[in-house]
Amino acid sequence: MTAPLEYARASRWYGPVIALNDVSVAVPPGVTGLLGPNGAGKSTFLKLAAGLLAPSQGEVRLLGRPAWGSPEAFHRVGLCPEVDAFWEHLTGLEFLTALLRLTGFGEKECRERAENALHQVALHDAKDRKVGGYSKGMRQRVKLAQSIAHDPDVLLLDEPVSGMDPVNRRRVIDLVKKMGREGKTVVVSSHILHEVEAMTRRVLLIHNGRILAEGDVREIRDLMDEHPHTVSLRARDPRHLARAVVASPHVLSLSFGADGEWLTVQTARPDEFYSALPEAAVEAGVTEMYSPDEDLESVFRYLVAR
Amino acid sequence: MPIYDQSYRRYEARGGLRQARFWPITREALRIVLAKRLFLVLLLASWLPLVVRMVQVYAVARFPEAGRLLPVDGRLFGEFLNQQILFTVFLSVFGGAGLVANDLRTGAILVYLSRPLTRRDYVLGKLGVLLSLNLSVTLVPGLLLYLVALALVPGQFAEWKLLWIGPAIVLHAFVIALSVSLLVLAVSALSRSARVAGLGFVGLFIGLEIVRGVLVTMADRPEAHVLSLLNNLRMVGNLLFGIAARGAAVPAALPPIVLALGALACLAVLRARVRAVEIVK
Repeated sequence: MTAPLEYARASRWYGPVIALNDVSVAVPPGVTGLLGPNGAGKSTFLKLAAGLLAPSQGEVRLLGRPAWGSPEAFHRVGLCPEVDAFWEHLTGLEFLTALLRLTGFGEKECRERAENALHQVALHDAKDRKVGGYSKGMRQRVKLAQSIAHDPDVLLLDEPVSGMDPVNRRRVIDLVKKMGREGKTVVVSSHILHEVEAMTRRVLLIHNGRILAEGDVREIRDLMDEHPHTVSLRARDPRHLARAVVASPHVLSLSFGADGEWLTVQTARPDEFYSALPEAAVEAGVTEMYSPDEDLESVFRYLVAR
Repeated sequence: MPIYDQSYRRYEARGGLRQARFWPITREALRIVLAKRLFLVLLLASWLPLVVRMVQVYAVARFPEAGRLLPVDGRLFGEFLNQQILFTVFLSVFGGAGLVANDLRTGAILVYLSRPLTRRDYVLGKLGVLLSLNLSVTLVPGLLLYLVALALVPGQFAEWKLLWIGPAIVLHAFVIALSVSLLVLAVSALSRSARVAGLGFVGLFIGLEIVRGVLVTMADRPEAHVLSLLNNLRMVGNLLFGIAARGAAVPAALPPIVLALGALACLAVLRARVRAVEIVK
């Protein structure tokens, strides 16, 4: 069986900069994590798949056709880009409806599908608010909603949970897993191992434009455990949050940001930390969370040196 | 064995591209533009010259001797459409300067082009907005005036020699709408700010007029007439409606050639700038 997404010796360079270098990989149905530090080539990998860029060399095939120059394939592809890409003057519902019209649905179906997608990402209550007034987490979710609204078979998600609060992060992770179970081909890029690990066990490790490894996330995880993991959280009451997490034996250190809103935590056991977090996060009013990629960078340095 | 290998799924993209893919883009943008009250006022103002011309035709119908002073012939329609050029410029600046620039700034171009659309569909969709606006103040009032003239002074149009006026209105309106629309769209694609694009277009338009004026009057270079978009469009109108030009004229074929080359240059700009991913080399 042909894989829905295939790269055959695909390279892409921007002038003298090589973003993706001689990549050959077949992405099967289910969820695949695309893991790599910032600047590794993850976004280029996804843009090639989404037909937004032509490969400088080699070929990228999507649903049996070249991804570049086959717009008809995009009836069945959803892209959630990393950058904000909105018409800010439209409401969430109008934004999705307009995009569904572009995909070719009729008026009634556009509205139904838009409402359903907003419901799936828990934005239904904010559907009549202008996208320009959405918080960062809501903007992430409306981007995700537009990518799933037309029920695509291939879903390309570029850092989909970046900037989300823990509760919505969990919701999106569950949604991605559900789509993977339904047989859709989902590629999720991230620079956070634990984020990817929560969605899938199959990962592609990308670094400096090359696929370093392909396979089970547990092997990477063993390497990762040697390094402390850093998480930054923005909360209404960071001191309350600090009190809640400092009791955990897995927390190595805590530090407060200069603006008094951010708390940075280093933990030796990210899994336990993330599991215990939602309750404390709700109480302390966590609005944003991200993990810098220094940890992953060190693992990659280790892998490259090996 | 994973579950996905046990079930059957067809991995060929089904169905082709539908027709008129540009239309949802045009419709959405028109909806936004026409929701602005100030823009509607401008649109209404651009129909005022039609009222004046209709009064002129009515006067000739009531008082035939007035036809000697203000004849209802090719000149009436040519001058009317030439007058409307400035309205197309205003409408295009206010309604079209942000059409591509805003998408480039917000990244919305990426979500357009990740849909079953080509870059050509995107450009056609945006061009459709400007063409609709510009034709609504050139072609529609032009044909309306023609119909009114046919109804009120049919004697003037019964002659074979005036039959070309109808097609000339259609052709001139399209030349005006297409030239102005393409230029505004190209300027919009060169910026990420609607304001900068609008000012850029106005600056280009006025700047070329000034250069033309200086070269023609001070350096006595009549061929400089072709530097101005406004003047080229007027010269095409004069040619189509048989209006005699004042002063030294440039060869009749030159303005259409300049406009065609300008349109090609605008298309080249759009081809280079309308991309989902901006590549900085």
